[in-house]
Amino acid sequence: MADTTTASTPAPHRISLIERSPAIARRKRKDYVLQAFGLIAIAIAFGVMFLLFASLIRTGHTAFVQTHVTLDVFVDPAEISVETLPRGGFQDVVTNALIAKLPSADEASERREVRNIISNGAQFYLRDLVVADPSLIGQTISLTVPLADAYDQLHKGSISRETPEALRRVNDQGVAWLDELIAAGAITKPLNFALLTNADSRFPELAGLRGALVGSFWVLLICFIIAFPAGIGAAIYLEEFAPKNKVSDFIEVNINNLAAVPSVVFGLLALAVFLNYLGMPRSAPFVGGLTLALMTMPTIIIATRAALKAVPSSIREAALGVGASKQQVVFQHVLPLAMPGILTGTIIGLAQALGETAPLLLIGMNAFITSAASSPFDAATALPTQIFIWADSPERGFVSRTSAAILVLLTFLIFMNGLAIYLRSKFERRW
Amino acid sequence: MTLLAFIILFVAAAIGYVMNLRAARAIRDGGSALHSLAGFHGMFSALVVLVPVFVLILVWLALADPLIQRLVAASLPEGTFDGLGTGAIQLIMAEINSLAGGRVFGTPEQWKIDAAERLVAYERNADLALVVVVLIAVVALVIFARRTVTTEFRARQGSEGIMLRLMASCAIFAIFVTVAIISALVYETSKFFAMVPITDFLFGLNWEPQIPIREDQIAAEGAFGVVPVFLGTLVIATVALTVAIPVGLMTAIYLNEFASRRARSVIKPFLEILAGVPTVVYGFFAILVIAPWLRSTGATLGLDVASNTALAAGSVMGIMLIPFISSFADDALSSVPQSLRDGALALGATRSETMLNVLFPAAIPGIMGGILLAVSRAIGETMIVVMAAGLIARLTINPLDSVTAVTVQIVTLLIGDSAFDNPKTLSAFALGMMLFIITLGINVLALRIVRKYREIYD
Amino acid sequence: MDDLRRIERTAEMSDTKISAKGVQVFYGDTHAIKDVSVEIGDKTVTAFIGPSGCGKSTFLRCLNRMNDTIDICRVQGSITMDGQDIYDPRVDPVQLRAKVGMVFQKPNPFPKSIYDNVAYGPKIHGMARTKADMDGIVEASLRRAALWNEVKDRLDSAGTGLSGGQQQRLCIARAVATAPEVLLMDEPCSALDPIATAQIEELIDELRQQFSVVIVTHSMQQAARVSQKTAFFHLGNLVEFNDTDQIFTNPQDSRTESYITGRIG
Repeated sequence: MADTTTASTPAPHRISLIERSPAIARRKRKDYVLQAFGLIAIAIAFGVMFLLFASLIRTGHTAFVQTHVTLDVFVDPAEISVETLPRGGFQDVVTNALIAKLPSADEASERREVRNIISNGAQFYLRDLVVADPSLIGQTISLTVPLADAYDQLHKGSISRETPEALRRVNDQGVAWLDELIAAGAITKPLNFALLTNADSRFPELAGLRGALVGSFWVLLICFIIAFPAGIGAAIYLEEFAPKNKVSDFIEVNINNLAAVPSVVFGLLALAVFLNYLGMPRSAPFVGGLTLALMTMPTIIIATRAALKAVPSSIREAALGVGASKQQVVFQHVLPLAMPGILTGTIIGLAQALGETAPLLLIGMNAFITSAASSPFDAATALPTQIFIWADSPERGFVSRTSAAILVLLTFLIFMNGLAIYLRSKFERRW
Repeated sequence: MTLLAFIILFVAAAIGYVMNLRAARAIRDGGSALHSLAGFHGMFSALVVLVPVFVLILVWLALADPLIQRLVAASLPEGTFDGLGTGAIQLIMAEINSLAGGRVFGTPEQWKIDAAERLVAYERNADLALVVVVLIAVVALVIFARRTVTTEFRARQGSEGIMLRLMASCAIFAIFVTVAIISALVYETSKFFAMVPITDFLFGLNWEPQIPIREDQIAAEGAFGVVPVFLGTLVIATVALTVAIPVGLMTAIYLNEFASRRARSVIKPFLEILAGVPTVVYGFFAILVIAPWLRSTGATLGLDVASNTALAAGSVMGIMLIPFISSFADDALSSVPQSLRDGALALGATRSETMLNVLFPAAIPGIMGGILLAVSRAIGETMIVVMAAGLIARLTINPLDSVTAVTVQIVTLLIGDSAFDNPKTLSAFALGMMLFIITLGINVLALRIVRKYREIYD
Repeated sequence: MDDLRRIERTAEMSDTKISAKGVQVFYGDTHAIKDVSVEIGDKTVTAFIGPSGCGKSTFLRCLNRMNDTIDICRVQGSITMDGQDIYDPRVDPVQLRAKVGMVFQKPNPFPKSIYDNVAYGPKIHGMARTKADMDGIVEASLRRAALWNEVKDRLDSAGTGLSGGQQQRLCIARAVATAPEVLLMDEPCSALDPIATAQIEELIDELRQQFSVVIVTHSMQQAARVSQKTAFFHLGNLVEFNDTDQIFTNPQDSRTESYITGRIG
């Protein structure tokens, strides 16, 4: 302790505690600056989030309603006969009914333009009705059909009437006709259930998400069936049974890395191995689910291991102490306690899989398919790939449909994440 | 028929369980002491039936169809495929398959109809064979399992052994996936390098993967220099990280040091939502909002901004990475021991001084790991760039220009094309290989740093 | 030696540095400190003893407002330092902590070099104008902490690389470097071996010449060895506060007596 005696520490500076020196004020200011930076950063994140949802809702909300026109259609036996069903002049019949609603339209010269007002799918609505009930031939029925995309957008205001005619997709004549139909009370704008019940279509006013919803359902089902048991099995083995050696260490590193491999690489794997080498069908939800299962498995393994680790060893020791075998301990005591954590991780993994797009593109789940898949081996699209297809389509109506599809997808995701958060808070235990 | 096979399997497993359970109980009721509980004897039987037959059905399903396709192809008249490319052969097979499925287009040739009939017959036979094989197998296994029921048989050890091996194979499956990825990539890439020299690929400054489809077509020969493609990825990733790192770190610092408990409980779930938004949504956001806005802003500033500028894809990708980086940094800051924070505060350090001089430097390894993982995600991110970045590879580092990215090329080269015999499609695998190696390298490094860091303070 | 100390004590008792009156501390719903009043003298070593969980560390952390960093902690009552209320809303805890240094139970050097560890306090408080000034402060502080001779050749190596006892002395040097008037020590030897403990105890005795030292300890022998005044805490109450000799030879309260004779604890 000799060296302390010669030391000269600085003398204590006796200043008042209340008096603020400029130096302190300067240092305090830095606190505010750092805090302000933090708040700005959070404001940026919140702002972008708000902008994202606002722009989706702004463009997407119009797709949740659809402009329809109600026509009194005379099912003309001259055009449609029982013998030639399902073929026949359905389009002409519908067009005639429309012209009847538009006194200003000239029957001979403007027939084509008038026909463009209603969706190309209108004739098929009528056809399906008549095929189902041939006795309609010769009668006049009231038929409500969707307007074509351009007129739908015009009515919803997405196409401005102020735009010069040359730049507008609907000419002045068309605007006048629409006004005429509105004045006649033929135009309605009901909720667009077709968005969920129709399959994909080339025409935006007819396109719906049914095929994509069914496809995503199959994909997630297959993904869950494979990834959930395999993931839990692997996690239990690694956490509870594996000897701590180089091999189990390697497996662990491997799984952590697998969780960070870009998703497009899994798509390449699926394309080369599942489709090209094993000859599995293209665009099939089965292959999509298989691929996403490989991606989701590491997430489930990591979550399960964390949940197992959180169960205190005293429970294991207690069960072992009464003579249970190691597997009885795990399956009867540890696993039930870890289940909420495992389920939370699994739901989050499945939510990721639901939004995953790139691997599905590579296995062809972006095909144009106009019917819903009836089994996981039929060609189908999934919600995210459907969004990708629609986002790529030039028609104006697909912009709002894309936003609407995204809102549907986000609804599912928020529901799944909400469920995960609920599970976590409801069953979380603090040991 | 496949469903029938599964039903047979599960019914047989149930029967096996009940049979062994009853047999074991009968022995017990007869007064003898069993080694294992009766339930374990049942479980043993069920597992002995389920596991091998389940694997059998899966292998059968995976292999039967490709095998049948090959048989049908081999049975076609000699010389049918002579001089045809992969595409044409696939077309013929597709037509035969549609005929077999009952979808007739036009009037097909007789040999195609014959082949379709053979295909249907093979498929029917294969299904029948599967059911028969499964039936035989389950009966044999149930009988075998029934015979094991004795007082000495260690059914618990037996069934637990099967369970353990089952779980171990699940763990090994993860390695198997990695091996499958690597071998698929290596195999297709080696085919590519047989057509295009590896040096041309690695050092070429020109990327024009369009190749003549017909022999007589006058088109570019196709150039496969990866440098501009990779440069594009780097430009976009740099933009993304320029957005994500400062915003993410500042968010983490605020959450860790300044936010009240209640603010935290609002901001954290909100960031989780942001992290859960699928990338295809971000991609649409980029083309719907960000790119037009950048263009109009650029126009008012007198800048020439390309319509699919790297700035749009990059900044949206940056937004995607904000929650990723902030949660990593928050974790790293939280795992700095309380004693260091106390030490700094007790010296009279202000909160910002504590954060910037003590906590942040102490957390840097953990934060670096998170940033590296973010870099790897930025490089491997696909949908945002596919939707918002360009297709043409340009040798530029100007973020206002349109650039392409590795993942964009992979997706566009492979969408709607499955003939694996030309350099155009195979080059996608070479790109994928490169992507895999680079991201793997970064991930291994990052995970190692994070792991080391956790060990220091745990 | 003993006689000498006793003389010193009486000579310096008069000057009160910190005075606490009716202090109550709550952690959420838990009432951790119940109505504690105590006077801590200048240039004195005051020891807080008591069984674990008795509130002695909590009370210590009130003296430099370290409890402010815990959200759910509320402090009532008055604590004055040189007559100034340290819980006055105008008082800046940052300034307070510069005057009331603290050493913790577990050595907590920053993951920086030895030099930077010691220089950190003076740097943020702007105590050195030149590099030479700073070198002087660092050397003086390390000497005060009796560490200079051991580390003078490796000031640039990491502070975390030192042994436990050295790390704790480094933390003392770090606390001393800001020239505090009071030094709080929260069980500074509990993580150390006996030899390192002896060194720290010797050091505390040296530090008394310049500072008012408050030490929390669970070791009665340590309290007896280093302190002049001792406060005995039990279940959040201050049971007895008196000269150390009095406490250990002639306790006034039966709980104190039970504790020092090992019947409760």
